[in-house]
Amino acid sequence: MSTTINVGSQADRTLSLNMTLLSHHELDGFGGVGEGVAMQITKDGRHIMWLAHESAPKNFTAVDVSDPRKPKMIVQTDLPHAQMRSNSLEVSGDILAVAYQTKEWGLKPAGFDLFDISTPEKPKHIVHFDASGPYSRGAHCLWFVDGETVHMASGAPDFQPRDSKDDQFYRIIDVRNPTKPTEVGRWWYPGTKEGDSAPPVRRMPKFDSGYRMHNCNVYPERPDRAYIGYIDGGAIILDISDRSNPKLVSNWRHSPPNTGFVHTVMPLFGPQLLIVTDECTKDDGADWPKMTWVVDNRDETNPVPISTFPLPPAEIFAKRGGRYGSHNLHENPPVKAARKSEKIILATFFNGGLRAFDVSHPYQPTEVAYYVPGAPKMSPKGAVQINDAYWDDRGVVFCVDRFAGGLYALEMNI
Amino acid sequence: MRSSEASTPADGRDPFAGRIPISVITGFLGSGKTTLLKKLLRHPGMANAAVIVNEFGEESIDHELLETSSERMALLDNGCLCCTVRTDLQETLRDILTKRMHGEVIQFDRVFVETSGLADPAPVVQTLASDSLLADKFRLDCVVTLVDAVNALGQLDSLSEPIKQAAIADRLLITKTDIAGSAQVTELRERLAEINPQAMILEVVHGEVDPANLIDVGLTSRQTAADKLKRWIGPLGAPEQVGRPGLAGPPRHSTGITSFCLWFDRPLSWTSFETCMNVLTSLRGPDLLRVKGLLNVEGEAGPVVIQGVQHIFHPPARLQAWSDEDRRSRLVFITRGIEREMVENLFRAVGALRSAAAT
Repeated sequence: MSTTINVGSQADRTLSLNMTLLSHHELDGFGGVGEGVAMQITKDGRHIMWLAHESAPKNFTAVDVSDPRKPKMIVQTDLPHAQMRSNSLEVSGDILAVAYQTKEWGLKPAGFDLFDISTPEKPKHIVHFDASGPYSRGAHCLWFVDGETVHMASGAPDFQPRDSKDDQFYRIIDVRNPTKPTEVGRWWYPGTKEGDSAPPVRRMPKFDSGYRMHNCNVYPERPDRAYIGYIDGGAIILDISDRSNPKLVSNWRHSPPNTGFVHTVMPLFGPQLLIVTDECTKDDGADWPKMTWVVDNRDETNPVPISTFPLPPAEIFAKRGGRYGSHNLHENPPVKAARKSEKIILATFFNGGLRAFDVSHPYQPTEVAYYVPGAPKMSPKGAVQINDAYWDDRGVVFCVDRFAGGLYALEMNI
Repeated sequence: MRSSEASTPADGRDPFAGRIPISVITGFLGSGKTTLLKKLLRHPGMANAAVIVNEFGEESIDHELLETSSERMALLDNGCLCCTVRTDLQETLRDILTKRMHGEVIQFDRVFVETSGLADPAPVVQTLASDSLLADKFRLDCVVTLVDAVNALGQLDSLSEPIKQAAIADRLLITKTDIAGSAQVTELRERLAEINPQAMILEVVHGEVDPANLIDVGLTSRQTAADKLKRWIGPLGAPEQVGRPGLAGPPRHSTGITSFCLWFDRPLSWTSFETCMNVLTSLRGPDLLRVKGLLNVEGEAGPVVIQGVQHIFHPPARLQAWSDEDRRSRLVFITRGIEREMVENLFRAVGALRSAAAT
């Protein structure tokens, strides 16, 4: 028998296992960061972290994290108006791509910008790719890691969805000439576009979040495959060997009974796995369970779920405030500045913080580290909402808060 | 043991890192364990420690301590450790770990387990190696054995448990030296060095000890520096001790405890090593009080670390690289009644140890 003295699971307390805070930067009072977290290594060897803000008024912020114990903000930019957000960005070499999504159809700017960040303190605008349209909010999320192609979840001037929630689909934009981005391919969930021959899709019964794309990941190991989280449409693998005509390889769906919102589908090529996240989008556990799945992808035409990342009970964390459940991963971006691992996966869980899992035994993933910051000052939810994460080439781990906390730099000891 | 259980390649988890260290505080009745813990826990570096104590028949960690420090306590209040606490200790560790993960207790970064004075500490150590859930989150950092300078010589002559407690220790703390005669302390030091030449011996008055001597004793990284590795393997595993039976020379007292180090000049076959250890643990497991080794295994780039108490061994784990030019395998034993020759003969019999290689 034992007795312990409980202090309660209080949102103002920092929880940690095998992660130590190196520094915390509140981004000059604009600490709300979306799911655009990318690292640049400049020609003079500095590590610059680029962050897309979750909402207006700020567009993006760059922080020099060369010394992760002493981060220095070097630039912070504003959006042209408050009816839009950037949310997502990527860096390839010295080119920064930033997504723009408007709050309503028909507004501008909607699409993405490219910037020359060879002098990171002074990003130089290269081009705007316009994806606005009568049924478009522009781009929510993009993937740009090879300097040549932007893969994005976006609307388009010529795309009319049957349901307003299905307005963002997969678009492939060739940016090899960065001054003239050109669409080279697209794919949408059959049945979601007005005029499709396929029947309308079945809406999710509990929370109808939409059949639209969220993340798209493409890696040099399989340049002919796009791994896509299609929100209520599930996890999708596309054959993009002919970019002008992407073809469906497989579509793994587990909602209903779950509540949809597949966010990220990250392949691990060595162990032939997919790590799939379902984004929590409701406060107080209303859409629980929102899990991170380990999926056997040995036969890519028939992905089979084999385990989920073990998480603290929703009964406890859902009450800490705001959202609790899966969201983003460190996506092993194939760039010099990123650490890649097919054994240790970093994942974010809003008020469940940042968590690291060992998938060496994929049927039994184990949690090996976590960091849950105490509630940031001015946090509207009364708890941290860790939104995204990045693991850099030096082994430094970063995570960001969705609303107020800004950037946390961590040392992981696993 | 299976070599396949050894650590994974570089992008996976470090088998030594990221586990919450546990220090086992043991010692005979009245040796000062609680006094030591009280002092230790007031040290600033121990602000996030958890302690699991056994209140049987001894002074307990009391409310005064709870109020004057920031530790959260898990108090075992059952009976004798040697009988039942192994299961309860598992439950207690799992319980405080779960509560820690839920944010219901402080984020403790260290655990002290105080055993009952009558207890055999070996089962506690074994628990940490054999419970895979616990082994994933905790590591045994060290065994600290307290020895009362006033009474210990008599106890060592007449009782087996104090001898075993001393034999498996990483640190031997001689307490109450202020009220014992200096000759008595000197004799006790010699006796303890005979029983366990591996352990660092410290003298402690009123529980005052520099915590640096009691923490971070175990390995914490597969990239362990040479000096730390040398401290870990202990004096018997130092090259300058080759050929000597033990630091203290032939024992003058018949405690039945023997310590020695086997050296192997050539890389070992894992199969041979495993065979030998399986035979030893099957036949004489209870008498293998402590085994530590750095092995040069065929096909491995770095040393393989072996640690065991009686018949329970931690999974073997690879260090990244050898820290110096001396790449001979070394295997240190503290045993009860198992002589060096017997172990040597066993290794020879399975071909792991050639006459020319043995020292």
